[in-house]
Order: sequence, then structure tokens, then C-alpha cells
Amino acid sequence: MTDASLNGAEEPRRRGSIHEIDARTRKRNAREARFKGYGIGAILVGLFFLVVLAVSIVSSGLPAFTKTVVKVEFTMSQEQYDEAESTLFKTAAYSDIFIAQLRDTMEEEGVEVAFDEGSIERLLGKVGGTLREFYTANEDQLGQPVTFQLPASSRVDGYFNGRVTREGLTESRFLELTDLDLVDALADAGVITQAFNWTFLTGSDSGVDNPGGAGIGVSVVGSFFMMLVVLVLALPIGVAASIYLEEFAPQNKFTDLIEVNISNLAAVPSIVFGILGLAVFIQFMHLPQSAPLVGGLVLTLMTLPTIIISTRASLKSVPPSIRDAALGVGASKMQSVFHHVLPLAMPGILTGTIIGLAQALGETAPLLLIGMVGFVARDYPDGFVGGFTEANSAMPAQIYTWAARADASFYEKAWGGIIVLLVFLLLMNVIAILLRRKFERRW
Amino acid sequence: MYDAPLRKTDVETKNTKIVAQDVNVYYGDTHAIKDVSVDLLDKTVTAFIGPSGCGKSTFLRCLNRMNDTIDICRVEGKISLDGEDIYDKRVDPVQLRAKVGMVFQKPNPFPKSIYDNVAYGPKIHGLAKNKADLDDIVEKALRRGAIWDEVKDRLHAPGTGLSGGQQQRLCIARAVATEPEVLLMDEPCSALDPIATGQVEELIDELRGQYSVIIVTHSMQQAARVSQKTAFFHLGNLVEYGDTSQIFTNPEDSRTESYITGRIG
Ligand SMILES: Nc1ncnc2c1ncn2[C@@H]1O[C@H](COP(=O)(O)OP(=O)(O)OP(=O)(O)O)[C@@H](O)[C@H]1O
Ligand SMILES: [Mg+2]
Repeated sequence: MTDASLNGAEEPRRRGSIHEIDARTRKRNAREARFKGYGIGAILVGLFFLVVLAVSIVSSGLPAFTKTVVKVEFTMSQEQYDEAESTLFKTAAYSDIFIAQLRDTMEEEGVEVAFDEGSIERLLGKVGGTLREFYTANEDQLGQPVTFQLPASSRVDGYFNGRVTREGLTESRFLELTDLDLVDALADAGVITQAFNWTFLTGSDSGVDNPGGAGIGVSVVGSFFMMLVVLVLALPIGVAASIYLEEFAPQNKFTDLIEVNISNLAAVPSIVFGILGLAVFIQFMHLPQSAPLVGGLVLTLMTLPTIIISTRASLKSVPPSIRDAALGVGASKMQSVFHHVLPLAMPGILTGTIIGLAQALGETAPLLLIGMVGFVARDYPDGFVGGFTEANSAMPAQIYTWAARADASFYEKAWGGIIVLLVFLLLMNVIAILLRRKFERRW
Repeated sequence: MYDAPLRKTDVETKNTKIVAQDVNVYYGDTHAIKDVSVDLLDKTVTAFIGPSGCGKSTFLRCLNRMNDTIDICRVEGKISLDGEDIYDKRVDPVQLRAKVGMVFQKPNPFPKSIYDNVAYGPKIHGLAKNKADLDDIVEKALRRGAIWDEVKDRLHAPGTGLSGGQQQRLCIARAVATEPEVLLMDEPCSALDPIATGQVEELIDELRGQYSVIIVTHSMQQAARVSQKTAFFHLGNLVEYGDTSQIFTNPEDSRTESYITGRIG
């Protein structure tokens, strides 16, 4: 094309010095740098949202892990006890004795603040009931000083967490401005303190009017038994189905149909599985309502496609030459799969299973349909079998129930519940990573 | 062109080991092997040569029914081993493959230790009575695979950690460890250096004493060096089959001549 080539004198094309970047290369490098920039930007945006999420969860949820307690030493003599027990309104009598003693204590401490029955009730709820319960059960403690840790009401709790402020307080029958003076005075005297809220970790759902007593422990147990059902059912069924489909089944219309349907199942909204569980397991098979067994069955249905798809993918990723090698030395199909293919696919299968389990652990909608709502989680189940059959809730359902309640301190519990849930999910991911490491180390 | 000395053959005294009659193989609509009939002899090395894609591997894989694993593959015709039809309904391909071992084109050791690679076959076929026995079998096989000296100090290191050529020799050792009667080798030396190739060829020559060895190769020199019989495939047809010396010095078909002199393929 050039003159030179037209003349037939082929001049070999020379490129410039490699010490000078030419325009083309510069453009290409610029494009690469831009692409890297986009990537870093995307990661930063992701990180930003992650941090926002983490900060808001932790800051909203942490108060759920502390509680405000009023720590008082109280002594009740045998005479006071007998007298209180002989009155008509027994708990009121207890309250009176308590208030009298508290007043004395405050005077000794030199705290000057006025309070009456009403303010104590607003602060501590029905103290008399708590005291009476204690002394009727422990008559031997009469006449001796006993230190009581009485949980403060949720509003006082909120005052310490910053949820309730003096300025924003609308006086109501639950809390008056003067009560806050009392609270401050008690705090100064070291009577009111913050303590770790073990009840939140070990307790069960409480009534609508008792957010302080609410805990997630029982629903954690519910979730645990559900996961057990899912693991025991979904893992073997899912892996067996995948091995059959991937390694043994002939390729035909029928297996294609199954394949398409499994992929579709993975995309079915979880609430559909919930209503299916309600119809089949509870209404038709008469399994107990709200039972983790039923929840586990529903979640198994939901998790199976996930496990099957990931297991098949990891089986597919095992190089076919390994199968050929095994068959070539005279191994049967089954031997080749179990001796050679499965061990190589194991990390993938385990990862998929744990991701499936984690998904199931966070699932709420289907549980609500089969009655595993928060407020049924009242007591720890009786024994192992009871864990499956007794009515219980699960972590996400419990969180949902709390979030739906009017009282703001339940909202706080919901955030706290989310922290617990996330801790469990994190734990499962760590297990997944450790298992993968363990199996991958076998070269 | 071929100054490698051609081996004197004494084919007449050998028995037929494998008989193929009118074998046709289809991959879906692709007709990969067309009406191939051939008698493969016992205690003989037979080389399959031919241009890429002509069906050498396909035909080789028919002989131990490895094609069963390919869904779209269909085999027609009759292939018998020692007079028994290998595509008979009563045949379990697993049992057949214990008799007809295979070394693949690409080295494919199991991702296990070198020892376990070789011991696997004898274990699943119950060839070893005890651990010492198994150790013996493994050592013997590795020696025959011409790799013993290189791996004897690291038998429990992963087989996949060996070099390509070492891996291929490990695969050969693995195949001979199960004491097959027929050994199919699909380009076993394509990843080997001349020294290792020489060792493998020596091994093949040694195996000839007991087995029927069928080797696919792209190296004319190798075919000439190790085989007594040669089959030339072209576009799915078996063009010519005969004594190696005959094929390389005086081919009957013009296509054979063109191929071995380097004009087609
Ligand atoms: N799994 C398969 N599916 C479909 N077609 C195949 C398959 N394997 C081989 N073929 C086709 O069959 C024909 C023969 O292939 P084959 O592998 O037997 O050739 P070959 O002689 O071994 O070639 P090479 O020397 O390159 O290994 C080719 O046309 C190939 O495309
Ligand atoms: Mg081939």
C-alpha cells in the first residue's frame, strides 16, 4: 500500500523505541486505569454501606444487651411478713414496707428527693409482687438483709439509653418528669446501675407490656432444632439427588424436565413453601402447629434446590479425566464417584449446604404461616424430642414479632435479636470456610 | 525416511486377542468410525496411526467400552475379546476394563498420593492379600512404569505434584498394576521427553511378552520402533492394516504412503 511496497522494496515496519510509550499504549493503559478506578469505587461504595449497616445495627441493638437495675438491700422481719400476709391487699403491704425502707436508705445516704408509691411503681413496676414471690418461696431469708436487683421499667431503661429524654418527655401515667429526678438521684447514689441483660440471651418472649423480660434464647433453640431437621434431611437428599442426576441419570427429556423444575423451585418465593407446609404438613398430615419439626420440613423444601444446584455445580467442576482414570482401572461408576469425584467436590458441596442453611436460618415468611410466630416461644422445650414437636418460634420470626410491637423498647430488642442472628450467620460462614480449608488441603 | 530399524516379526504364531467386525461409531450425527474390521493379536504391539480427528482414540475407546460414558456415542458392530462379545448384554464393563487397561492421552493421576494412585486398582480388584503384598505390587508397577527411582522416596507425596512426563509414567504404572491382558495407550508419550519416551517404549516392548498392547501415536518413528502391526486410519476408515515393516516400507494404499511420508495429515 505504501510507496515502498508498491515499488516492491519491502521495508520491514519498525516500531518505535520501547522506552517511549506510544499513543495506543497510553490509551490502553488509561482505559485500564479507569477500569481499576471503577472497581475500587464500587468496592468503596459497598464498604460504605456495610459500615453504615454495621454501625446502625450495633448502635441500635446494643442497648438490648444491657438493662437498668435498681440494686437495693432489703430486710424483712418475720413480724412484717406475718402482718403483710394477713392483710387484704398483700402485695400493697409489701410495697409499703419496701418504700419505707428505701426512704430510710436514701436519708442515710443523704439524698433528698421526694417519691411516693406512684413513682416507685412507674420506676420498678409492681415491686410488692416480686418481693412477695421471693419471700413466700424463701421464708428462711426473713430477718436477713437480701440484695435485690429489680429491673427498672422500659422507660427508665430508655432514659439511660438516650431513647427517652427530659426535653422530649411527654408526661404520662407511665413516667413523669419528677420521676426522672428520682432516677438521677438514685443513679448518683449508685442504686440504679446498668447490668448485662442475660435475660435477653436466655429468656423467651414476654408479654406485650413487659419488654424488659423479653429474650431470644428460646427462639434460638427453636432455630437450632429447625436447622437440625434441615441438615439431616436436605443434605443427604440433596447430595444423593445431585449425584444421581449428575453422574448416573441418562440425558433425556425427562431429566431435562427435572432439571428445569429444580432451577424453578430455587426461585419460588419462600412464602409459597410456607403455605404449602401449612396445607400439607399441618392440615393434611396433622403435624403439630408451630413446631420446629414442621418449620424444618418447610425450610428443607426451600433449601433443597439450593443444595442440589450447588452440589451439581461442584460435581461438574471435577475434571472428567478423573472419572475416566477411575473407570480405566476398572472401578465401577459408584466407586469412581465415591472414591474420587465426591472428595474433590466436597468443599463446594459443603459451602453450598451452609449457604443454604444460612438462608434457611434467616427465613421468616414461611414460619409465620405455620404459626411459628414470636409469642409462642414461651418456655424451653422438654428434652430432645420436645425440641422438635413443642410450639416454638425461630430467631427471625421472633425479631419480626418484636419489631411489629408498639413499645419502642421492643424495637430495641428487635435490633438486638438481629445482632444475635448475624452472629450465628457469621459463625456458620466461619465453619464453612474452615471446612473448605480442611478439605482443600488434600491437594 | 525411516532409518529406525524395523523389528523382525513373528506374527504367524500369535493368537488373535480382539476381533472387531464392521464396527461403526456415531457421536450423535457424526459418523466417527466407518465399517472397521480388524483382528488384533495377543502378545503383540499394534500401533494406530492417522491424521488428527480420524477416529483412533474413538476406536481405541471402543475396545474397553470407555465410550459408554459418552451419552451421545453409539457403537454398532461386534467386538470380541478372546471370542467373547464385549458388547453383550451380560458383560459388565467394569470387569472388562479390569482386563483391558487404558492409559489416556492427557496424564490424569488421581489427586491422591503416588502410592494410592498405583494401589487403587489392585485394591478394588482384590489383587493384594495384605499390605506387604500391596507394597510389592506398587513397587513392581512403578518400576515397570520407569518411574520408581524418581518417586521411591516420596511415595506419599501427591501424584499431581509430579511433572507432566512423570505423571504419564505414573498413569502407566497405575494401568499395569491391575495386571490387564490388553493395554490400550492413547498417545502415551506425547508429554514425555526423549529419555522418558525411550523408557516407556522399552516398557511397551517388555509388556509385549505378556500382553496385547495397542498404542495410538503421532510419531511415525515411534510406531516403527515399538510395533509389530500397524493400522492406518483416515477419516474414520481403516485404510490399511498389516505388518509394521510392510506398512512403512511398502504401503499398498496411496493414502497410507502420503501420510507416512508426511504429505497428508
Ligand atoms: N465426545 C465427542 N463428542 C462428539 N464428537 C466427538 C467426540 N469425541 C470425538 N469426536 C469426533 O469424532 C472424530 C474422531 O475423534 P477422535 O478423538 O477419535 O480422533 P483422533 O484420531 O483420536 O484424533 P487425535 O489424533 O487428534 O487425538 C472427530 O471428528 C471428533 O470430532
Ligand atoms: Mg486422540
